[in-house]
Amino acid sequence: MVVLRRKTWRDIRENIGVYLACILVIAIGLLIFTAMSVMMESLERAQQNFYREANFADGFVKLTGYPESKINSLTYVPGIRQVEGRIVKDVRLLDQNQDSNRYLRMVSQDMTNPPQINKLHLLSGRLPADSKPEIMVDPQFMAANHLALGDSVTTIIEGNQAVFYITGTAQSAEYIYVMRTAQELFPSPKDFGIAYIPLNSLKALVKEKGQVNDLVFTLSSGTDFESVKESLQSELKPYGLQSIIARKDQTSHAILDAEITQNKNMSKVLPLVFLGVAAIILYTMLKRLIEAQRGIIGTLKAFGFSNREIIGHYLFYPALIGILGGLLGGLTGIALSFPFTILYNQFFVLPNLKSQFSLKYLLIGLALSLSFSLFSGIRASLEIIRLEPAEAMRPPAPPQAGKILIERIQLFWQLLTAQAQMGIRNAFRIKVRSLFNIIGIAVVFSLMTISWSMQNMMALLTTVQLEEVQKYDLKFQLSRLSAASPVRLDLSHEAGVSAVEPLLEAPATLRNGWRKKEVVIMGLVKDSSLYNILDKNRRRVEVPANGVLLSAQLAKALQVKAGDLIEVESPLRRDTLEDKKVQLLVQGVVPQYIGSNAFMEDKNLQAFLRQGEISTSLLVKIKQSEVARITSKYRNADNVATIESISDSSKMIKELMDSYNYVTWLYAVLGGITGFALIFNSSIIILSERKRELAALRVLGMTPREVLRVITSEQWTLYVLGVLLGIPLAYAMEYGLAQALSGDLYSLPSELPPIALLGAAIGTACSVLLAQYRAYYRIKSLPYVEILATRD
Amino acid sequence: MEGKNIRKRFITGEVEVEVLKGIDFQVFKGEFIVLLGQSGSGKTTLLNIIGGMTQASDGELYYKGQPLHKMDDHGLTLYRRDEVGFVFQNYNLISNLTAAENIRLVREIAREPFTVEEVLREVGLEDWANHFPSQMSSGQQQRVAIARAIVKNPDLLLCDEPTGALDIKTGIQVLNALQKLHHEYHKTVMVITHNAEIAKMADRVFYLKDGMLDHITVVEHPLAPEEISW
Repeated sequence: MVVLRRKTWRDIRENIGVYLACILVIAIGLLIFTAMSVMMESLERAQQNFYREANFADGFVKLTGYPESKINSLTYVPGIRQVEGRIVKDVRLLDQNQDSNRYLRMVSQDMTNPPQINKLHLLSGRLPADSKPEIMVDPQFMAANHLALGDSVTTIIEGNQAVFYITGTAQSAEYIYVMRTAQELFPSPKDFGIAYIPLNSLKALVKEKGQVNDLVFTLSSGTDFESVKESLQSELKPYGLQSIIARKDQTSHAILDAEITQNKNMSKVLPLVFLGVAAIILYTMLKRLIEAQRGIIGTLKAFGFSNREIIGHYLFYPALIGILGGLLGGLTGIALSFPFTILYNQFFVLPNLKSQFSLKYLLIGLALSLSFSLFSGIRASLEIIRLEPAEAMRPPAPPQAGKILIERIQLFWQLLTAQAQMGIRNAFRIKVRSLFNIIGIAVVFSLMTISWSMQNMMALLTTVQLEEVQKYDLKFQLSRLSAASPVRLDLSHEAGVSAVEPLLEAPATLRNGWRKKEVVIMGLVKDSSLYNILDKNRRRVEVPANGVLLSAQLAKALQVKAGDLIEVESPLRRDTLEDKKVQLLVQGVVPQYIGSNAFMEDKNLQAFLRQGEISTSLLVKIKQSEVARITSKYRNADNVATIESISDSSKMIKELMDSYNYVTWLYAVLGGITGFALIFNSSIIILSERKRELAALRVLGMTPREVLRVITSEQWTLYVLGVLLGIPLAYAMEYGLAQALSGDLYSLPSELPPIALLGAAIGTACSVLLAQYRAYYRIKSLPYVEILATRD
Repeated sequence: MEGKNIRKRFITGEVEVEVLKGIDFQVFKGEFIVLLGQSGSGKTTLLNIIGGMTQASDGELYYKGQPLHKMDDHGLTLYRRDEVGFVFQNYNLISNLTAAENIRLVREIAREPFTVEEVLREVGLEDWANHFPSQMSSGQQQRVAIARAIVKNPDLLLCDEPTGALDIKTGIQVLNALQKLHHEYHKTVMVITHNAEIAKMADRVFYLKDGMLDHITVVEHPLAPEEISW
């Protein structure tokens, strides 16, 4: 079939633009697929390798103080394989700039008996010497603060200054994603880092003599974490147990896992959207090619070419496009996965995180692209089998002519030019193709809304949380669970302070049947003015006097609704074995964008915990001009662990989001390219189908621009219908995206602003215009005399 | 070839049209047959049935003793591939293949084909092998179509109005090519025409009228193409 191949190449060359456009759309889909798949595989591989190398813990315990001497006895708890104790302390850095708010989390390392759990990966320098004022820091903190090996940092530990020399950088499996609190969303390596310090050096500086405040443990294989947790809870309760969490809930691991899962899901869904549009383009293009070559097909059949040979010939086009698009997209995707994986290092510090050439994903991508292409090819060429050669030799019956619905609106119809009437009639008469194009435009439109909606989601996430929910300016985290009243009293007398409210945050396990979630219950004062709970219409909801409010994510995970009862237990509760669990009434379900909490009135929560009038932090409303003074005054106070400034967090998150804005615009660009390919293909098809009519119009004296109107009026009709169909699709996509990206750490609001719809409509219109601009040049060079002189 | 009571009906919507109303005929090896009749008389439909391009609605058709009317799509494809060569009124050359490529395309599926050069020489176009159809005259294009039809070395050559779109001079060139094949290679040639003059070069003429074979005449002394005019 050498000659038929030659025909294929020449057919392609005659319409190279459309074929290239189609290859491009397939390539975009495959690029996303391979790049994301390879990146996620690299991320997962580096994660697994690091966890194995580090012997990453299965469980994490926080408590007030546990005797070092008793740690080994915990290995007798059934299911625990290894257990180690550490001192973990957040300490403030003393800067020349007194206003700065930088913290280091000191994690002790026993230098005489090196840890076997969460083993450090030394990246540069050397280990600190035991009992010396030396530390290793995480590489991001080092880089963000322009520090070098041998530099010193001054810290305030329990009110005393301590200078440490940096001997190296190291990475722990526990802090791959470094955040001070889960509420911060993004790492801020300039303001917060991890320091690894010899246990003896730290012991000398803290009050916990002979005690640790943090335990990590690994489990014997096949052990259920929950049963170990139960045993540990009763063992550790007397030591001020604050939380026991499983690896799956450990912040760094949870974020890394969520990132991998979300991207894996996206890598499956997004390419399908592009391949779907490519299939529409290919289908309509091949269908037209086959219609245009009906006579050739008849001739081939007359000479004895079998259906298989002829279909094989017409499937060569989509196969070629599929292979080229697949290869181009696959290889580019793999190539892009290298720099993008490096970009990931900004967020996730994983030793040996690098991309690898993946034959597997290249082949899967090729198979995917070929399947889509061949499917559209087969759909388009099925008619060949049906045609008898004698029938194929005759031109097809002309499409049914008659008035379309819109023509009945005489007033509107009469306003249209003859070209517009031709175009609109054509759009309604070739129904299947028009429907496919409408679907394609709807997909392009909704893809474009993602750009705006993602930005809107992120903006809502931060503005609602930081401006409407968290109304306080400073949060004073108390260094231990205690009555907040003394500090509260002091603070409320400070100049510029207009409100001070205590906050009690208690770790708890919520259960509904077999479903359970580890959460932090926020105990808010009645009529709190500094922390607002908002409903989905952003109206304030009062914290209930009895029972509990749940975030929507939490209610979904527990499968409960207002009016249901849930079981609650907390390590902070002074309880007896008989009344470990208490049932609470779910009073309501509220949206929560950052974090996933339960809310109670503080008095109510205090009563549940049976520890008296305790708090964990104080929320303060203060004049901005007084922030620096107050921070400076209290930051070294013995009972204040840290002071968080909302404006600092807000500024940081906004800056970070602005720097990643370009990623969200990517969808608009990719949608635009796809829209261009779709409309350009449609123009070429109309040109090929109606070249005689269009040539006749040219001969009759119409300018190319006037002739173009036949095509454009058809396309604008499809555009309007496509956008109308695209609106519900965009809402569905927005909802799906919000659901896919929401987790325990944050939940994206599903809200599509009118600007997103308007922007996407304009963006789609631009790609239509651009494609029509190309079509204009085709019409301009239309050999109309030649066309009219030849027979079809 | 023998056809018995060949009928063909077309159904369009609720309307049924009988185009062939029971035709009986015989064609012998090496004959030059002309099918003559007015538009709508059923000439093309009969030729299509003879060529295995479509099946008769009723009747029996035998080629070298094989019942074509019982053949499925695959059987008819092989029949067309191995036995039949077609020449169409509108040539139906593939516009983006050269003359030689159009011929080679068909040659690739043939069992005992002639060479491309041979057939181009037979139709007098050996110097036009690398020209595209758009670079050739109508007569030349039709001669390429004939070369393409005969390259497979088929026993049966079916021509539907091969001179219909040509002027007299080029028409005679094409008819010459057909007669040469008939004489030198002893191929059975069936030509459809509504031009009574062309019938003068046939061995026998089938006259079709309203879907019936009206009568058959035998031409005692077939003329050479140069001897006829229209």
